[in-house]
Amino acid sequence: MKKLAVPLLCVLAAVGFALSLHLVFEVAPLQWGKTGDGRLNGSSLFFNQKIFYWHVAHAFWLFGAVFVAGVSSIAFLITRKSTWDDIASASVDVAVAFGAVVLITGSAWAKAAWDVWWNWEPRLTMSLLLWLILVGYVLVRKFAGPSADRVAAGMAIFGMVGVPFIYTMVGQDSHPASGSGGVVATLGPGMRGAFWLSVFSFLLWFIALTITRIQSTRCERELRELRERGLDLGVLQ
Amino acid sequence: MKKLILLFLLAFGGAAFAQPGHPTYDVSAARKACTDAMNSDPIFAKDIIATVDKQIDQKTIDAHMDANKHIQKNEKHVIYSYAAMWIIAALFVAFLWMRQQALKGEIAQLRKDLDAAAKGGA
Repeated sequence: MKKLAVPLLCVLAAVGFALSLHLVFEVAPLQWGKTGDGRLNGSSLFFNQKIFYWHVAHAFWLFGAVFVAGVSSIAFLITRKSTWDDIASASVDVAVAFGAVVLITGSAWAKAAWDVWWNWEPRLTMSLLLWLILVGYVLVRKFAGPSADRVAAGMAIFGMVGVPFIYTMVGQDSHPASGSGGVVATLGPGMRGAFWLSVFSFLLWFIALTITRIQSTRCERELRELRERGLDLGVLQ
Repeated sequence: MKKLILLFLLAFGGAAFAQPGHPTYDVSAARKACTDAMNSDPIFAKDIIATVDKQIDQKTIDAHMDANKHIQKNEKHVIYSYAAMWIIAALFVAFLWMRQQALKGEIAQLRKDLDAAAKGGA
């Protein structure tokens, strides 16, 4: 059953994604921003609003991955069990990929909505900083030597603390708002199903990638430990 | 003989389908005649102006409709996003695969080292 988990998750994610594509392009209406008297206003994105279904879904699981990495790092620093370190490391790797998708799709959205690829608003800058912290984590793990796991754990906790700031900053500038009065809460009926199916499909994809990466990280660590033991016992040279 | 008849029919048919030449108009004379007619008959002038206005309005409406359709169906940024998403996913899967291959290589190396150590010990 364990061996089947990842392929099964991938298949379910693919089916969900295919269905969500059908809903996004065939069922969900184009987005129109209207003023109180029913006239179109400048916030209408029409077809380009469909970026939303991937951008926000990836942002959700980016935050999820950073949260998992942060909590696992705290657990690792308390217990010193390498399992927690493996989970944190795998989550950050996936978070780097999801973060890149969030930044690029967000940039395409900004170009469509405001005719700029990037501006240095607090939220965008914080998102970029979070992503750079995650990239820093990966580099620390690769190059920082024997204490890399503890330094990296500190960075993951630092990244996790940044997430609520980004979430609450959304809506303070030109970015659509989040939370109870935000875009997700006020989606129309045709858009809601497409959005939540997309979020669910990317959750399955996220879990499949994280499990695969955890298995790979665990194997790498066990192999490294075996080699070290072999060297210590004089079996290996 | 058959060939001659066929050739005759083809030549006759071609002549029958040939288009007569278009009559040539003197544009300046036609313009002058139209201007004179409009000056002498205000109702005719009004009709001509109304027709031209209507055509211009239709062109404006068509241009607006075209722009509207273009804006609504602007797919460029959606395509960018979709492509970026899959390129990153493919790169990540490739990264996982490469790590997996590296791991296999390390296991093979460890096995080789262990065999060598076992032989050395024996």
